[in-house]
Amino acid sequence: MTHYAMVIDLNTCVGCNACMAACALENQTPVWDDHKWRTYVHDKEIGVGNSVHRRFFPRLCNHCDNPPCMSVCPTGATYKKANGIVMVDQDLCMGCGACAMACPYHARVAITYADVALGEEFYGSDYRRSSPSMDKCSFCDHRVEKGLKPACVETCVGSARLFGNLDDPQDPVAQVVASGVARPLMPHIGTRPNVFYIDDLKWRG
Amino acid sequence: MDVTMSYETQNLWTWWLAVYLYTGGLGAATLAVTFLTDMYLKPHRNLVIWGAGAGVVLLAIGSMMLFGHLLHHLAAIHILNPLVFFKKPDAWIAWGTQFIIWMMVWGVLYALPYARETPFLKRLPLIGKVLEWGLVIKICEAVTRFRKFVGWLAVINGVGVTVYTGLLLQSFPAVALWANPGVPLLFTVSAFSTAMAFLLLIMYTVIKDAEDTRIRLLYERIDLVLISAELVILFSFYFYLKRGSESAMRSWELLFTDFGWLIGFIGFGLIVPFFLELRGVVKGWTSHVPIITASVLVLMGGYLLRHYFMYAGIYAYPW
Repeated sequence: MTHYAMVIDLNTCVGCNACMAACALENQTPVWDDHKWRTYVHDKEIGVGNSVHRRFFPRLCNHCDNPPCMSVCPTGATYKKANGIVMVDQDLCMGCGACAMACPYHARVAITYADVALGEEFYGSDYRRSSPSMDKCSFCDHRVEKGLKPACVETCVGSARLFGNLDDPQDPVAQVVASGVARPLMPHIGTRPNVFYIDDLKWRG
Repeated sequence: MDVTMSYETQNLWTWWLAVYLYTGGLGAATLAVTFLTDMYLKPHRNLVIWGAGAGVVLLAIGSMMLFGHLLHHLAAIHILNPLVFFKKPDAWIAWGTQFIIWMMVWGVLYALPYARETPFLKRLPLIGKVLEWGLVIKICEAVTRFRKFVGWLAVINGVGVTVYTGLLLQSFPAVALWANPGVPLLFTVSAFSTAMAFLLLIMYTVIKDAEDTRIRLLYERIDLVLISAELVILFSFYFYLKRGSESAMRSWELLFTDFGWLIGFIGFGLIVPFFLELRGVVKGWTSHVPIITASVLVLMGGYLLRHYFMYAGIYAYPW
């Protein structure tokens, strides 16, 4: 079996935001709205005095194994593929927003009628969306199906994002996760996320 | 994972969702109480007409609030299909939508024989004509024959709606204020309390039937018990939030330092009506004004509860 996962190394993320740009163009997200990114890099200063660290923290859908967004979705628009990727069927989604309320990782964005109209102007005849819906990262499923990596992973200049198969013991992602170096966010909530982070703070200062 | 957390409220489901939860709970509980009263206490045409009418109108208002805020209105067709249960039995909105629809259907059917006997409804231009249709007369005959069966179907769906309003919030795991079993309990108790208040208001100001004294007194006593239960649940929420996770503590800070919550909801929405109704039950009032005042306050408090709950939910983000 294949069980896709991502490891993000906070030590090597330089905050260039290339992942955000690559994702936006690959997935035709509403770049005209600063709150509607499928992946977003937070920029935060941590510490006081001379020991201030600047941390860049990329976030995206965690493609949970127990996704609350999927269980609350009333129409079945949110579903999970056998390979672990959580997807949204745009045609089934009525955009009630329950998934966004349920997501602990702030991974959902609302694509409105206005966004669809702007998208048709901005992306032209290549625009793939025809109706509004809630939207989220799909691990670039269309690329993964072709054997490619997600756009954000492909474009990352610091190699901060790794993408791989947790069920393959030879895969570097599986090895880093198994070692315990890369850990999920808020595992106590019970979502069983498939995005893992390598901490930066313990190596600094 | 060593992270620095951020704590945020949400601005996706706000006052309009509070209206949906409030009118949903109030309308459904009102319908359930009036039908049970009609089936087991005293056949009461006016009460059933008001109960079914309020159930349908309030649920329609609430549903329109949600429908109006959907991103893709046409896709709502998927959730209106009763077969949605087989596809999404784990989604409370799917259950809630079906409860609302079937509560309206069985509620209208139950009230139909009474509607045909109500002069005001018979005088209405369109409804008056529909009530004289042969099909409607046949449906009324069937409903009269299976009155309790239809009534219980409406009541079960009505109770389902009241519980659903709390289960919906409970299904959001990131927010400590919502993701706990106290929420469905609190919202169900509050829905029935507001329904009692609504019915007392209607009975004292519109129906005004001297023979309803026993029912009114029973409603006052039930409301007193429900308000007490609500205060006990809120008491446990106070400590659950104050001694809970960071998300819970921040919700506590938002709620229990806000005068709208403390004085508006707990003070005027629960404690003042509690004492007004307690005095009414123990010693009685010479005027209807105190109970009418208590009812208005309980109705106001019911909305405030849901309004504050929506705005005080805190997400803990690990960045």
